[in-house]
Amino acid sequence: MSLEVINTPILATIQDKGRFSYSYIGVTNSGVMDEYAYLHANKMLRNPLDSNIIEISFSNVIFKVNKSTQIAITGAICEIFINEVPKKSWQTYNVKNGDIIKIGKILEGSRVYLSVSGGFDIKKDFGSNSTTIKEKLGGLNGDKLNKGDILFFKECEKTFNVRLKSEYIPKYEENLELRVLLSYQEEFFSKDEIEKFFSNTYTVTNDFNRMGCKLRGEPIKCEIDGIISEGISFGAIQIPSDGQPIILLKDRQTIGGYPKIGSVLSIDCFKLSQVKPNTKINFIPISIQEAQKKLKLFYSSFM
Amino acid sequence: MIFKIASVDSLIIYFGSEINQDISTKVKKAYLSLKQLNLEGIIEIIPSYSSIFISYDIFKYDYYSLKNKLENSINLDFETDISDDILTIDTYYGVDVGLDLEDMSLKTKLSIEDIIDLHSNKLYDVYAIGFLPGFAYLASVDEKIAVPRLATPRKIIPKGSVSIANTQTAVYPQNSPGGWNIVGRTAMELFDKNLESLSPFFVGQKIKFNPICKEEFLNQGGVL
Repeated sequence: MSLEVINTPILATIQDKGRFSYSYIGVTNSGVMDEYAYLHANKMLRNPLDSNIIEISFSNVIFKVNKSTQIAITGAICEIFINEVPKKSWQTYNVKNGDIIKIGKILEGSRVYLSVSGGFDIKKDFGSNSTTIKEKLGGLNGDKLNKGDILFFKECEKTFNVRLKSEYIPKYEENLELRVLLSYQEEFFSKDEIEKFFSNTYTVTNDFNRMGCKLRGEPIKCEIDGIISEGISFGAIQIPSDGQPIILLKDRQTIGGYPKIGSVLSIDCFKLSQVKPNTKINFIPISIQEAQKKLKLFYSSFM
Repeated sequence: MIFKIASVDSLIIYFGSEINQDISTKVKKAYLSLKQLNLEGIIEIIPSYSSIFISYDIFKYDYYSLKNKLENSINLDFETDISDDILTIDTYYGVDVGLDLEDMSLKTKLSIEDIIDLHSNKLYDVYAIGFLPGFAYLASVDEKIAVPRLATPRKIIPKGSVSIANTQTAVYPQNSPGGWNIVGRTAMELFDKNLESLSPFFVGQKIKFNPICKEEFLNQGGVL
C-alpha cells in the first residue's frame, strides 16, 4: 500500500498546511508554497484539507504504485504520464498495483502537487509532515524525497474521477500583481520611496526558493540599515541595504533584522510561488480591511 | 506597547527600540501574560529583543478587535522570578574546537585564557530564539572580546559550537553555515525532538558557560 520513488528527484518534498506554534523556539512554519493548488488537490480527493501532499519543484519525478488508490495532480502545468499515456493536470486518476506515474517536464508554473486519497501515512514532527530540510524536520527523516523512498497510504476502492472546472485552473503568466499591506517599518521609508516601490516593475531573480524570493529593480532606500531582530510574517518584504526587495515565504527564518516595508497578501504569495525567474512583478497597495476580507473569501471557498 | 500590523494575519507589539534588560523584561512579562491568557485563535507568539510577533486566525479576530483585546488584557504589572533559574552550559574551550580562539587572541591582544575567562565569567540573558530551532541569542558579551562576525561565513559550523558575534553569544544547535567566531563546544543537546520542552532555552532566562576539560567533554558525549 505505497508509492515508491523510482528515480532521484531534484527537489520533491512532503508538505502539508505547515508546522504551527513552534516559531518561539525558532522552528519555521514551512508548508506548501501554493495553498491554492494544495487545497484543490485535497478537495478533489475529498481528503481532510490539511492532508499531506508531494510538492514537486523540478521536472522529472517517477513513482511506482503498489496498491490501488486515487491520486490528484494540481499546480504547475506539466507533462504527466501514467504507464506512458499522457494525462492532464487538475484531475484525479485511479491507479493500481504496478502503475508508473511520471511527472515530466514542467511547462507553465513551477510547482506540481500530487496527493493520494487519505494522504500518506507518515509520522508527524511537531504536528506536521512538512519538510524543512535545513531543520531536518518532516517528510521521511527530515529530508527531500530520494530514490527508493516508500510512501505508505491506505488502499482505496476505485471511484469516480473529477476534474476542476477550467475557469478555476490558474494561468501562470509572465506578469504578476502582488497586493501589499504596508506594515512593520513603513515609517522609515519616505513618501517618495513608497511611491517608487508601487510605481516600478520588479523582476524575479534566480534567488528564489522555499525560503524567499529576491527581486531586482529600482532600489528602495530605507532610512535605517537594520533593525533589532523581530518576528517575520509570511510574505514580509525585506529591504536590505542594496534596496532590492526580498519576499519571505514558507521556510523563512522566524526572526530577522532587515527593515520591512510591508507584507504581500498571503494568497498572492501562493501565486508568486508558481512563477519562474524573470517574471515581472508590480506591487499594489491594499488596506487591512480589504486584505482580511480577501483572505476569508479565499479559505471560505474551500470549506 | 505600540501595536503595528505585520501582515494580513499577524501583528507586532513593540516595547521599546533598543536592546536592554529593561525592555527584555517587559517582553518576557508580556509573553508570560499572553501564555496565561491562552487566547483561542492565536497561532504563533514570537518574543524577541524588544517586540512580540503574533499571528492569528482571521476567522476569530480582525486586526482591530485583536489589538483592542490585547491592549486591555496583557498584564505587565507583576514580578517574575524566572531569571533566578540559571542554565549552565558545560563548554570545552580547546583550540581544537574553538576554531577562532587564536585569531581572536591576535585581534583582541588578550591571551586565550583571558578570552575564556571573560566569556565564562559572565551571566547572559536569552534575548531571542530563532535563526535555527533552539538557536538562542545571548547577551551581553564583555566589550573586550566582542569581535565582529567573520568576513566570510563558514560553510559549516559544527553542532554545539559556542560562538561570539559582537556583544552577542550563542550555541549552534546543529551543523549550519554561519559567520560567528567559535570559541568552544558543548555536548549539550539544544534542540531535541524527543523532549517535551524541545529546547532548554526561553526568552528571559539566564545562561552561564562552565569551562570543562577535554576528557569531561568527551565523557559527556562531545564530538571533536
